[in-house]
Amino acid sequence: MAETAILYDSSKCTACKGCQVACKQWNQLPSPLTNDEYTYTESFQAPLDLAPNTWLIINFREEDKEIGIDWNFMRNSCFHCTEAACEMACPVGAISHKDNGAVVIDQEKCIGCRYCVAACPFSVPRWDEAKNKTFKCWQCFDRTSAERQPSCVSTCPTGALEYGDRADMLGIARERVDQLKAAGYDKAEMYGEKELGGLHTIVVAQRGLEAHGLIRDPKIGITDFWQFLKPLGGLGIAATTAGLGFSYLMALGYKRGEYSYDEKTDTLNVKEVEK
Amino acid sequence: MRYIQRHSAFARGLHWIHTIACLSLFATGLILFIPSVAAAVGMATVQGARMVHRVMAVIFIVAPIAAIIISPKGFVHLWKSLFFKWDADDKEFMAKFFPYLFFGAKQHMPPQKINKSGQGVADGALIFLSIAISITGVIIWFPELFSAGIVRWSIMLHSGLMVLIGVFMLAHIYLGAGIFQPYRGSGKLMFGDGRVSESDALYHWGTWAKEELKKGDNVIAE
Repeated sequence: MAETAILYDSSKCTACKGCQVACKQWNQLPSPLTNDEYTYTESFQAPLDLAPNTWLIINFREEDKEIGIDWNFMRNSCFHCTEAACEMACPVGAISHKDNGAVVIDQEKCIGCRYCVAACPFSVPRWDEAKNKTFKCWQCFDRTSAERQPSCVSTCPTGALEYGDRADMLGIARERVDQLKAAGYDKAEMYGEKELGGLHTIVVAQRGLEAHGLIRDPKIGITDFWQFLKPLGGLGIAATTAGLGFSYLMALGYKRGEYSYDEKTDTLNVKEVEK
Repeated sequence: MRYIQRHSAFARGLHWIHTIACLSLFATGLILFIPSVAAAVGMATVQGARMVHRVMAVIFIVAPIAAIIISPKGFVHLWKSLFFKWDADDKEFMAKFFPYLFFGAKQHMPPQKINKSGQGVADGALIFLSIAISITGVIIWFPELFSAGIVRWSIMLHSGLMVLIGVFMLAHIYLGAGIFQPYRGSGKLMFGDGRVSESDALYHWGTWAKEELKKGDNVIAE
C-alpha cells in the first residue's frame, strides 16, 4: 500500500462542518444530547475542542480586519506523523502505523494510561474516563483499506479536503501555495512535508502557519528518550547483576573470624576460623 | 553469646511493609515498561497490575509518612545514622569498599559507626530516589492536574528512576540479605528478630558495637 495523506486546503474551506458531522456519523461518535454543554466564546467554533467522541473539528481563528474578518480555519485532528510521539510513548504497543501511514490506536490493547495524551505535540488523543481508553482519528482506515476516501473527505462540498497518494497531495499543495502567493497571500505556506518525519495530513495554510494555529517545527521532546532509556536501563541492570555475581563468586570461599570484645579492658579479640 | 538489639519491631515492621510494596511496584511496573510483557500477559492482567501498582504506591508513600508521624524520634535517629560528617575511617571505608566487594573481601576495613559510610550513600540515595519516583508517579496518576510537558518529563523520569532504584536495590538486597558471603546473617536484622551477634556487630560496625557493648542498654546475653 502506498503512503497516502489527507490534504486540507484552508483557502477552500468554508467551515461548513460537514466533515465534523461525517466523522461522527461514520465512526458512530455520539454528540452531547444537551444544549448547554458549550460556553459562549463569541467564536463560531463548535465544539470548542476535540474529545473522546469528537475526532475532528474545524478550528475558527477569527481575526478582525478593517473591513470584515479573516476566518483562518484549520482542520484540527490527528496529523498521522511518521515520527509519532503517541506511538513512542505507548507502553503496551497499542498504537501503530498502518502501511499507508495512518496512526491507529488498537482499542483492544489500549489500557487508558494517557501517556499518548501527554506525548502528542498537537494534543490530539483524548481519554475517555468511563471507558478508560484513549481515542483519536484513525483516518477511517476501514474505509481507506476498502479503496474508499475517509469519511470527512468524501463529504467536503468545496474540495478543501482531498485524499490520495501522499506525493500527489504534496504536489497539489505546493501548486496551491504558489497560486495563493500570486493572488496576494504572501504568507501562504504548506505544512506537513517534513514536520516530524512527514505528516499524513498535509495543510495549505492560506495566511501562514501561525495564523492558522499550526506549530512551526513541532518537536517530540523527551518522549523520544524511550529508545535510549530502555536499552540503557536493561544494560544497567544486567551490568549490576553481573558485577554482583562476580563479587559473589570471588567471596565464595571467604571465612570470617569470630569477633569478641572485652569492654573492661577495651580489647578486641579475633579468633581466626580455619580455612 | 551476646547480641545487640539493632532494629526495633516498629522499624522492622515498616521495612517489611515497604519491601512488599517496593517489590510489587517493581513487578507491576515492569509489565508497563516492557511492551512485549504487557502483550504476553494480556489486557486483564495489565489492568489488574495497574490497579495493584496504585494500591502499592499508596502504601509505599503513606507508610513512611505515617511512621514519621508515629515516631518522629525514629526518623531523626535514621536521618542522623545515614547523613553524618565523615571522619578518616569513613573515607577509608568508602575508598576500600569496591576492592573489598569485588575481590573476595580480602581488604581490611576500618571500624564503622552505626552505619557504614557506604550505607549512608546507598540508603540515602534510595530515600531521595523513592521520594522522586513517588512525586513523578502521582503526576502520572493525575495528569489532568499538570501541563503536558510536566507529564511527559514525569513519565520518562519515573521510568529512569525505576532503573536507578533497581540498580541500588540489587546491591541493597545482595548486601542486606547477606547473599554476599561476608554479610551472611544480615537478613535477619530487618526480616528476623532485629538482633545482631556480638561478632557480626564488631565486624560490620566496630565503633558502634563497642559503644553499645559498653553501654549495655541494648545488649542481650543468651
